[in-house]
Amino acid sequence: MVKEPLNIIITGVGGQGNVLASQVVSAAAVQAGYRVAVGETFGVSQRGGSVMSHVRLSLNRPCGPLIPRGQAHVVAGFEPLETMRVLLDYASAETVVIMNNRPNYPLGCLSGEHRYPDPERVEEAVKKMTPRLHVLPATELAKEAGSPLAANMVMTGALAGSGLLPFGRECFISVIGSLFQGIVRDLNLQAFESGFRRMDG
Amino acid sequence: MKRLMLGNEAAARGAYEAGATVAAAYPGTPSTEITENMAKYDGVYVEWSPNEKVALEVAIGGSLGGARSICSMKHVGLNVASDPLFTVSYTGVNGGLVLLVADDPGMHSSQNEQDSRHYARAAKVPMLEPSDSQECLDYVKQAFEISESFDCPVIVRLSTRISHSQSAVKTGERADYKLKDYNKDFTKYVMMPAMARKRHVEVEKRMLALQEYSETTDLNSIEWGSKKIGVITSGIAYQYAKEAFGDVSYLKIGMVYPLPDKLIAKFASEMETLYVVEELEPFFEDHIKKLGIKVTGKDLLPLMGELTAQLIKEKMLGVKQEVNEPLVDNVPVRPPVMCPGCPHRGMHYVLHKLKLTATGDIGCYTLGALPPTESIDTCICMGASIGTAHGMEKARGAEFAQKTVAVIGDSTFIHSGITSLIDVVYNKGNSTVLILDNSITAMTGFQPNPTTGYTIKGEVTRQVDLVKLAQAIGVERVRVANPFDIKEFEKIVKEETAAAEPSVIISKSPCALSKDVKFGGALKINQEKCKRCKQCLALGCPAIVNKGDFVETDEALCVGCMLCTIVCSFQAFEETGEKAGAKNG
Repeated sequence: MVKEPLNIIITGVGGQGNVLASQVVSAAAVQAGYRVAVGETFGVSQRGGSVMSHVRLSLNRPCGPLIPRGQAHVVAGFEPLETMRVLLDYASAETVVIMNNRPNYPLGCLSGEHRYPDPERVEEAVKKMTPRLHVLPATELAKEAGSPLAANMVMTGALAGSGLLPFGRECFISVIGSLFQGIVRDLNLQAFESGFRRMDG
Repeated sequence: MKRLMLGNEAAARGAYEAGATVAAAYPGTPSTEITENMAKYDGVYVEWSPNEKVALEVAIGGSLGGARSICSMKHVGLNVASDPLFTVSYTGVNGGLVLLVADDPGMHSSQNEQDSRHYARAAKVPMLEPSDSQECLDYVKQAFEISESFDCPVIVRLSTRISHSQSAVKTGERADYKLKDYNKDFTKYVMMPAMARKRHVEVEKRMLALQEYSETTDLNSIEWGSKKIGVITSGIAYQYAKEAFGDVSYLKIGMVYPLPDKLIAKFASEMETLYVVEELEPFFEDHIKKLGIKVTGKDLLPLMGELTAQLIKEKMLGVKQEVNEPLVDNVPVRPPVMCPGCPHRGMHYVLHKLKLTATGDIGCYTLGALPPTESIDTCICMGASIGTAHGMEKARGAEFAQKTVAVIGDSTFIHSGITSLIDVVYNKGNSTVLILDNSITAMTGFQPNPTTGYTIKGEVTRQVDLVKLAQAIGVERVRVANPFDIKEFEKIVKEETAAAEPSVIISKSPCALSKDVKFGGALKINQEKCKRCKQCLALGCPAIVNKGDFVETDEALCVGCMLCTIVCSFQAFEETGEKAGAKNG
């Protein structure tokens, strides 16, 4: 493995299925034989606030659950503004970013009190922090797979397909297969595949 | 085989492996999952109690009855449970009694960031503090041993980052713990003054014995590294310190009260520079300074909020972290928001419209204090809304009461609102109390409560009838209202606030995230009908987006609760026929 520990941040808005995605990534990592530490935010912040999960993988050295500033290696952003917020604190020039392009507007922007930055400006700002940015329409891809709510699994698929994690898609497939049943499993697997294909190769 | 576990899940596992058979709690972030995980085990009686005081009393009963018992709560819950805590410290236990208390430094989901370690000292009760999930399991098991060996309750202190982080845990088998005999003994269990005086002597003896235990237990351990720097730390702060300092020496404190004075002195004597790294209060630092040892801690680190590895590096080692520049003019904040389809939204809209003073309480509805409705005036603690409204009326007069409501959820009302409502009636107040009844404890993640109709184990049980309860207390004006029918709701609130006597309005509607709630699906705005008056934005609905020149709905978020169709004077909201619905996973 390149980094020891490998530091992954999954970020978005409460309700987007952030925690579930981090659960899938960390369970897949455990299955692949890694030591894993996960730090989450839940509670009142799950009500449409900013949320972030830290997932740290290592082969040997145990590590704490929170990633120090400027030390994220991979950031999966389920929402552009939240991606930018996390990068301000955690990005270095080496950070690789996978970002869903669909905005979710904070209350201040809905009411017109604040202005949501233009999408191009967000991308530009992200690229200045780290040039390694992949943008994908995860919510649209999830809709095609059957529900916009499966965007978290599209993003998980993109993470798996990026080649940034030291284990393959079979680990993810088996975790998703064990977490869900019936049509929900099919939907999530399809969403995962669509994200995977988008990033793979 | 090791499993990835939340700290809370591992703590529950520890209690299970220790053979605990009684567990009681009131939900509160970040402690809730302890009890939810306990409920998954067979052979353990688990309950959601109405509040933390009752929960601790149930656990005390379990302990005196001979069973190993646990009681879990968030830090502010310990305030509620502190009354029995201080005295069970005198009576001691029969079966082991362990309290799991989760602090919330940084206030991710709390109204203050009090440091529970002070309670250990104040109540003369030992306290342990784990630093990862494995220690959550191990320390809870050891806490039961300490509880029985020293005849006292033991507190295990967690914090948000320990409770809600996951790391690998090696599990073991459940101990075959035999229920102890219950022997009546009024000298030990009846704390009248004559007996309590004698028990206090035992408490002081016990504290001396625990002090000795603290010196030798492997809960407190030294990791030798470079002796240029020595760090005394515990809990999650230990993880941060390791990341910040690297190869130095550590005295890791697992038993935070009573502290091992001799071990601290020995460690300190070998170090060139000594730091204390602890979140919140200078609890260790003050103690160490009192021992006459020179140490650096809170003159560099903050008393507020969470620590981080880089903060320690910067403040203690002078290593600055480069900061990324925002590069866009501003990054709008994203506070939590009431969900699309939330029944509280209509209520807040009405309170705002009527310009009422609303004393608030603890629950999702506290979010109504934020724009656009800004309809909540106060939030102090669980159950405070009703007493606060009553006090305001007594200060400002009955006329003020006619422009005031107390706003409280069903679970919070059961927790500690009932006694305040009795106060209003007894002391001739005129308060109007709005009970937001979704019949569940929603904010912490759908825990059933006495209004729900089933227990934590999913067994059907009786439901508290809030109407009859209010009537029995002596409230003659009790009305039930539908918060989605804004016009009728407004009429009822006007009538009840105007009444010169106490009234209760039960705003009845399930939580939008409940499985049973089915709305019609996303709406869209017919831009030809829309007059851009933006009245709909006053609802503060996350699915209605102000685009500057026009307003549109976010069809991925809109559930079709239809509130906006009532607020809109131009019938601009129309059904799309698309089934959407952003339910949180």
